[in-house]
Amino acid sequence: MDSIHASGVSKRYGGIKALCDASFQARWGEVHALLGENGAGKSTFIEILAGVIRPDAGTISINGERFRASSPREARSFGISACFQDLPLIPDMTVEENIWFRHEPLSRFRTVRSSSMRKATLDLFAEYQFPPLVPGREVRHLSLSERQLVEIGKALALKPSILIFDEATSALGRSETAWLLALAKNLAESGRLVIFISHRLDEIRRIANRVTVFRNGSTVSVYDVPDVDDKTIISDMLGRPLDLLYPERTDAATSTVALKVQNLTLNHRLDDVSLDLHEGEILGVAGLQGHGQRELFHSLSGVNRARACIELWERRLVIRSPRDTLLGRAGVAMVPEDRGTQGLLLSKSVRENLTLSSVDRLTRFGLIVKAREAGLVEAICRSLRIKALSEQLVSFLSGGTQQKVVFGKMLLTEARVLLLYDPTRGIDVGAKAEIFQLMRDLAQKGYAILFYSSDLAELVHVADRVLVFRNGRVGMVLQGERATEDHILRAMIGKDAV
Amino acid sequence: MTLRSSASKLWIGLGRMDGEWRYMLADRVSFIVACVMLLFLLVTYRAIRKNVFSLEELNLDTAAAMTLLLAATGQTIVLLSGGIDLSVGGMISLGTALAATRFGDRPGTEAVWAILIVLIGLAAGIINGLIITFLRLQPFLVTLATWSILSGIALIVLPTDGGTLPAGWIAFGTASLVGLSSSVWLLLALLLFWGWFRKTRLAITIRATGSMENAVRLSGGSLILVKMATYGLSGIFASLAALYLSIQTGTGLPTAGNDYILPSVAAAVIGGVSLFGGRGGLVGTIIGVAILTIVGNLVFVLSVSSYWQPIVSGVILLLAVLATSLTEKSVRRGIV
Repeated sequence: MDSIHASGVSKRYGGIKALCDASFQARWGEVHALLGENGAGKSTFIEILAGVIRPDAGTISINGERFRASSPREARSFGISACFQDLPLIPDMTVEENIWFRHEPLSRFRTVRSSSMRKATLDLFAEYQFPPLVPGREVRHLSLSERQLVEIGKALALKPSILIFDEATSALGRSETAWLLALAKNLAESGRLVIFISHRLDEIRRIANRVTVFRNGSTVSVYDVPDVDDKTIISDMLGRPLDLLYPERTDAATSTVALKVQNLTLNHRLDDVSLDLHEGEILGVAGLQGHGQRELFHSLSGVNRARACIELWERRLVIRSPRDTLLGRAGVAMVPEDRGTQGLLLSKSVRENLTLSSVDRLTRFGLIVKAREAGLVEAICRSLRIKALSEQLVSFLSGGTQQKVVFGKMLLTEARVLLLYDPTRGIDVGAKAEIFQLMRDLAQKGYAILFYSSDLAELVHVADRVLVFRNGRVGMVLQGERATEDHILRAMIGKDAV
Repeated sequence: MTLRSSASKLWIGLGRMDGEWRYMLADRVSFIVACVMLLFLLVTYRAIRKNVFSLEELNLDTAAAMTLLLAATGQTIVLLSGGIDLSVGGMISLGTALAATRFGDRPGTEAVWAILIVLIGLAAGIINGLIITFLRLQPFLVTLATWSILSGIALIVLPTDGGTLPAGWIAFGTASLVGLSSSVWLLLALLLFWGWFRKTRLAITIRATGSMENAVRLSGGSLILVKMATYGLSGIFASLAALYLSIQTGTGLPTAGNDYILPSVAAAVIGGVSLFGGRGGLVGTIIGVAILTIVGNLVFVLSVSSYWQPIVSGVILLLAVLATSLTEKSVRRGIV
């Protein structure tokens, strides 16, 4: 009997069809991958299964029983528990308080028993061999990766029979990802159903038994994973064949140094880092979580105040705050790690977000000149192919479109040294390809790009050179033939390459 | 085997987590700052005046602080949920007005009316909570409106200061047991209540609501119930504050509540309760109330104009907020 059997599921938001007659079947004991571009309806479908929203139409049965959950609690009674992508954790509470939130062990005075909760947490961590996490630490101190682990713990604590991971690996480091993939496989082997959403096809290949592809809110195809090749899956997702994910390499790098960093040092995080970023170059940055690459980006954009000698287009620059880097054409602009909290004002419109960092250029006597702003917004929307109305709220856009808005905001500052921190995190292949093409085009125009990615394949195919960070230093510089995934990985973990 | 070995590995890992105390410190900075301030004030107070650390002084000071403390207790709960309750002022005014006009009606009805006043406070609070959740309005504006309404009703019930309360009722204020005044016993009861309440699922959900509302919703919590409970509790504590005030003053003061609105917020914030919700607790608020009370005492003892009290309180509030923000930043710089 099917574990989940859904058919005709539809959901509209205002005029937008998020799901339209979607169907889905999954069996017990399998890892079932759910694929689709951003906005294809995966998240909506997951939210229906998790009881967060109710479908407008359609029938869903779980193990033959009619499923109709109007709250997360009811969904839980069907044994369903989900790890959400946006990590709805409580920042001011500890790891264990988050994991057991609203089903804490209670004493006979109806109060929470801290000792039982601690024991249950440690048991849970031991049972699933969690990467290290301190149960008593407040979540606000944790990194994105650690928060994802807490979210996973929260889902596992409910002892679900159906477990949903919504892009759980996009926030995880390399070793945590390996752990999660193994965990998903184990859970499935013990007879449970794991629904796994990821944009990384190699992960899906490693663990999934079957894959369902969504496009524009409907189910397009279902495959047994070993019997299908990546090309078919991708063209099903896009509705057209994907010619090339990575654009052709063009050697646009010149000898002009756009950004020169010497002896950059930050507390214990960065130790004497020097680098030259040339005009027209895409310089890749690799490193395991916590080895200094984030701090490098933050120091160059003024979020962290590091000691360094920095020259921008051969002029000395002291960076004390992000404001110091906004220098028009001579400045630096960044696409930050988390577009939801660092890159965008989600409750504001596309227009307001795009012009946020360049508003100074649009004013006369301190007031924004509407016509000038509208012209600029229209031009950038056209050139980046941002498919959204300029007054639309950013929170309603898909991940890929949101990221293009971040790029647009960055480009409108006119800065020609760009810092891209994992710019393709959590966006679909179609949008990824567009972003890589854009990066190439910019390099061609003489922009200098510093590019960190957690996906090594991207670095290999897009970057001209790759700096590998280890323990806060540039451990190795790889170029040309030597810049392979294997070599980068070896340098990341500190085993000598070659 | 694997299970046990990984469990032991975990324990070793935990033991090695040096610097965990820094996180603990960072999480409690504002509370510690408040403690240091209180200590400093106590030492100053002791330097100018004898017998500061006596039972008599404790009895007097807790009595002086109790009305504010009760109001601030409700305020703390609301602040934890990420809201604010300005209507406590109106509720206190209405409570004393009702007590002054109704308690004398017939002997023995005090208890009935006292319970009724508490129920009115609860009802007003629940209405606050319902308006805030159903109409999705700002707590600040909603409670500003209900404050105004309750204040108006208070003036209709009792247009000017006056009315008398039964002697038996007032006697509670001066009653004592084993040398401790009724107010000290009330303080102990309050601490006992908090010791229990803060570990209940309701309190945890209130705190979580202030920290991340969406997480509560996704975990199956009902925001309507949480907010009704939050503001309902605040209403109850405001009524209790009104009753205590009536015991102390022995008369009805239909505008007295206004003096407690912002001090109740200030006391909580000085004691480390976050205005953004999710952080703090009643012990901090008690320390905040103690700080404000001792400032009052100091101004009195130094026999300067009593107008100095709000000025000094304001400076203390600024210092507390500043110290907290500075320390938190520097501690955090060491960690993240």
